[in-house]
Amino acid sequence: MEKVGIVGYYQVKPDLDAMMSPPEMIFNAVRGALDSAGLKRKDISTVIGCTNDYYDGKTISNAFKVDAGGAYMKDESKVEFDGAHAALYGVFRILSGNHKLAMIYGYSMPSCFNYEAVRILELDPTFDRTVSLLNSYSAGGMQMRAYMKKFNVSLEDIAKVAVNSIKNAAKNPSALPEAQRSDISVGDVLESEILCSPLRKLMYPILCDGTAAIILAPEKQSLKITDNPVWITGVGNCQDTYYLGERDLSISTSMEIAANKAYKIAGINDPKKEIDIAEIFGHTTCEDLILAEAAGLCEKGNGTSLLDGGPALNPSGGTMSGLTPCVCGLTRIIEAVKQLRGEATGYQISGAKKAVATGQVGFCAQNNILYVLEGGGN
Amino acid sequence: MDKFYDGLENKKFIASKCSKCGKVFLPPRKTCGDCFAKAAEEFVELPETGTVKNFTVANYRVSERRERKLKEPIIIGLVQVDGADTAMISEVLNIKPDDMKEGMKVKVVWADRIKGHPKDIKGFEPIGGE
Repeated sequence: MEKVGIVGYYQVKPDLDAMMSPPEMIFNAVRGALDSAGLKRKDISTVIGCTNDYYDGKTISNAFKVDAGGAYMKDESKVEFDGAHAALYGVFRILSGNHKLAMIYGYSMPSCFNYEAVRILELDPTFDRTVSLLNSYSAGGMQMRAYMKKFNVSLEDIAKVAVNSIKNAAKNPSALPEAQRSDISVGDVLESEILCSPLRKLMYPILCDGTAAIILAPEKQSLKITDNPVWITGVGNCQDTYYLGERDLSISTSMEIAANKAYKIAGINDPKKEIDIAEIFGHTTCEDLILAEAAGLCEKGNGTSLLDGGPALNPSGGTMSGLTPCVCGLTRIIEAVKQLRGEATGYQISGAKKAVATGQVGFCAQNNILYVLEGGGN
Repeated sequence: MDKFYDGLENKKFIASKCSKCGKVFLPPRKTCGDCFAKAAEEFVELPETGTVKNFTVANYRVSERRERKLKEPIIIGLVQVDGADTAMISEVLNIKPDDMKEGMKVKVVWADRIKGHPKDIKGFEPIGGE
């Protein structure tokens, strides 16, 4: 695969209630990304947004974001999965040879809708939605039970991973302030409210308003824009069945397939040794482990070993730094880019050369996408 | 799904079967993802008994309108009805959360008023009425 460069990025600081209109949020992210790369709106040739009609309460939700997204009179489209999927669309656009600069943004404002309630609309309307028992909490609880049982992992071990993520979030200036707790302990996590057993509240991210944007360019164009691009050297995506009753929830076969595709394209033979940074989008701390294991970053059932060595698991705090639907996968890419460019001030992993960043959509991560990212030579 | 709903109206589980691999789906499916074959040409009636494959004790209930904390937790399970190859989501009734175990044998509890609707399945309870 020809390399695609990430030449600019911007994250609007997440907020429980941003007190900004959606166009303002998007404008700030897109304007910020352009400024970060020293570019102007006229340089953009295609814009891909990630928004969701249900979250926005209207159909064709991107129609109202055109001006704020920099897409006025330009090639524009939308993805309704995760921001990481919007980035894939942008990669396609760049690799087609028809575009020299792709602006990718993601946006949602959970302060304006109940995320958990809206997720019910993701359910199969002929049965699951009608019985109304499946939701983020119950699915997360059953996934966690399956994982703990299959691999004999204790609640304490998963709590340790949550503590690690929350402490990492405390060092990340782009994290949601309410998610930052440097003094958190395993006991705090274990004693936090049980949402759906065995899932604890402090193993589940805090929903927040946010926007983020990245700019993609072909290799030659990237090098004209910056001497410090981050390269997308591989990407893979895979879709599992919707039905939880048909899946082994303790593992993620779709992530395994997605990761293997991406590694093959990027020429990664041993991700455990070659990858320095893993920015994983898990809906729960347990899902972080399942996805990291499926991505081959450690042995299956041994995700907690990532706390002791190997690729750094979510140095940004991952989703425990705040979860904004439609944005989270893009944030994972941005956090990996920061590490590879040496711009993760306060939580920089020294010598980071290669990273993976993941996105997902669906209950228990039905659809997974994984990027292999490599530093440009800082 | 019509046959499934009609079955519920008669207090029966009607599952669909993949025309190629023979996998039995409950709730029924039109197609088998793995075989990419039709899965709604053959239907089988399954018994009222099954196994709890996974469960969670839920302190929250979420509807299309809101999430709310429950005064008393409910037990949500993935129940695989005997003869099916897939599990379906259902409540597990008449058991204390601490007594729940995966692999537990259960039988269906039908709703008082049957309407040919997924909610006709009130839940499943342990066999032996523990």
